[in-house]
Amino acid sequence: MRDISMILKSVWKSLFVFSAISVLAVSTVNAQDAKEGRTLFKAKCSSCHALDAKLIGPALTGVSDRHSEEWLLKWIPNSQALIASGDAAAVKVFNENNKVAMTSFPELDEAKVKSILAYIKEGEPKPAAGTGAVAVKDETTSGLSIAGIVAIVAVAIVILVVLGRASKLLERLILQKQGIEIEEDVPLKVGIRKMFKNKKFVMFFILCLIICLGSFGWMGMWNTGVHTGYQPVQPIKFSHELHAGINQIDCQYCHNGAFKSKNATIPSLNVCMNCHKAVQARDKYDGEISPEIKKIYNALGYDPETQKYDDSKAKPMEWVRVHNLPDFAYFNHSQHVVVAEDAIRKAKGLQPTEPVCFACHGPVNTMEEIYQYSPLTMKWCINCHKETDISGQKNNAFYAKVIEAHEKIKKGEKITPALLGGLECGKCHY
Amino acid sequence: MKGSTLAMNKNKFVYAAFLAIAFAATLSACRDKRSTGMEYARNMYDALALNPDQPVSTTNEYLKSFNGHAAQVPPAHTKPVGFTEYDEYPNTKEGYDAAGVSMVNPLPVDTVNLAEGKHLFTVFCNPCHGEKGDGQGHLVKIEKFSGVPSYFAGASSRGGNMADLTAGKIYHTITYGVNNMGSHASQISPTDRWKVVMYVQQLQKGQ
Repeated sequence: MRDISMILKSVWKSLFVFSAISVLAVSTVNAQDAKEGRTLFKAKCSSCHALDAKLIGPALTGVSDRHSEEWLLKWIPNSQALIASGDAAAVKVFNENNKVAMTSFPELDEAKVKSILAYIKEGEPKPAAGTGAVAVKDETTSGLSIAGIVAIVAVAIVILVVLGRASKLLERLILQKQGIEIEEDVPLKVGIRKMFKNKKFVMFFILCLIICLGSFGWMGMWNTGVHTGYQPVQPIKFSHELHAGINQIDCQYCHNGAFKSKNATIPSLNVCMNCHKAVQARDKYDGEISPEIKKIYNALGYDPETQKYDDSKAKPMEWVRVHNLPDFAYFNHSQHVVVAEDAIRKAKGLQPTEPVCFACHGPVNTMEEIYQYSPLTMKWCINCHKETDISGQKNNAFYAKVIEAHEKIKKGEKITPALLGGLECGKCHY
Repeated sequence: MKGSTLAMNKNKFVYAAFLAIAFAATLSACRDKRSTGMEYARNMYDALALNPDQPVSTTNEYLKSFNGHAAQVPPAHTKPVGFTEYDEYPNTKEGYDAAGVSMVNPLPVDTVNLAEGKHLFTVFCNPCHGEKGDGQGHLVKIEKFSGVPSYFAGASSRGGNMADLTAGKIYHTITYGVNNMGSHASQISPTDRWKVVMYVQQLQKGQ
């Protein structure tokens, strides 16, 4: 009996191993195909197609169920030829998708198309558990730590008071035991009144108050109208850390006015749509469009299903202004970031990889929520203008003009205000 | 009697000083990052002129037609100074082909224009198209974006080889966008677009 069971066991074992190996082999072959297909899909198809969403072309999940493989092998390399041949299914697909001709891919042979189809069938490989989890930043850290410190101080005070009372009580008990009479406690109210009759104490008290509150008041008055650290809640949770930091998009891509004009400009939503027409972060929201990206669509009246804009539903985004100079102060972005870029870089010690904007706006690429980094006070402007070295500016049209005017003055030539820009409207009208 | 009134006055003075300074101190100390803190003459921060990204009063009779927002299209039959119209080449296959045939780069190919073209390319195109124009920009490498073609290899989605695209076709694509690429007309001025085209045509050689 025992032998038979042993034999059965070994047979079972070998069978199991064999089947496991064969399954593994088949699945690795599939995985290989799908992996190659994924690379091809990303390179060739994804500018118009996604697996689960309609982009320029239809969503491709389940495409093998909708069409035969034979048909797809003809369609993908050259869809126009198939439509021209009068294939009913091809004409139908062409008409269903606004008659946008699909690019021909003569370079995709049968094996490559099959691997793309294998990838579409298998879908996006699931990330291992844990790696996909989004690290949630603890926003309340600063609030919590302050509360913690206050709590510790409060507990310490309570302990001191309790201990003091206890020791007083013990002292009193000892005195009572020794039969010594103890004076009755003076009521607190009378005690305080007595204290305030002491001139020295009153002087000391007033001095303390003046030093303490005077310094607070002084600081308060100095910081009136200084918005350093101002970090308002914005209508869309736009993260500069993600866009400028992780994605390394240049500041100028969105704030292109900073290099051309006085105003750095908040980008209009069409700039967002340059990427977010396709980037919807569906992988982080269980296949749904990210709620923050949806806010862009809602504001534009854009329907991601039909890819059409409806202007009647559009409602502008009301961003909250962070940096706000008073009306009487003139500041020009392009004058600083274009004309004075080298001087500012040198003065603030910026790395070549950092944009010149960091000089005043701070490390924007680490700010999940934007805040005002610099005080923007007059003193702050003046100090920088006092310290920054602008000598040795090459190819600078402004200084070239200044030098030219000086040469003319030296030679005794006629110089008029008009020659020095005195006819610019902005010199008088503002 | 005299002494006591003096003492009273002194007390009052202390109380008053205490209250005043404590008020200032609390206002300055309780800085909330969501608020701008204590401000003097707030109306100096709110310009009379419209701020481009701020809401506009809907009750002001003169501004009613603004529908609450400052961003407006120019009035009919007007155009901004220096605005170049591009109407003869619409965003269609025909417009694209026509632009490809008849548009030529008005700027001379020189080092200054190429350097500016390179800078603009780095800012506006590099994130997706890559430094060499091979379609392997940072956003493609970190898999945020995909399906970006190479300038010098493969076929264009609108026919022909990418390497053979003419200046007019590239200009048309930057202006209107194609497939997943959006229009960059609002970000890059026409002159700057030609500088980018010039640089892209250098990259098409695939060096």
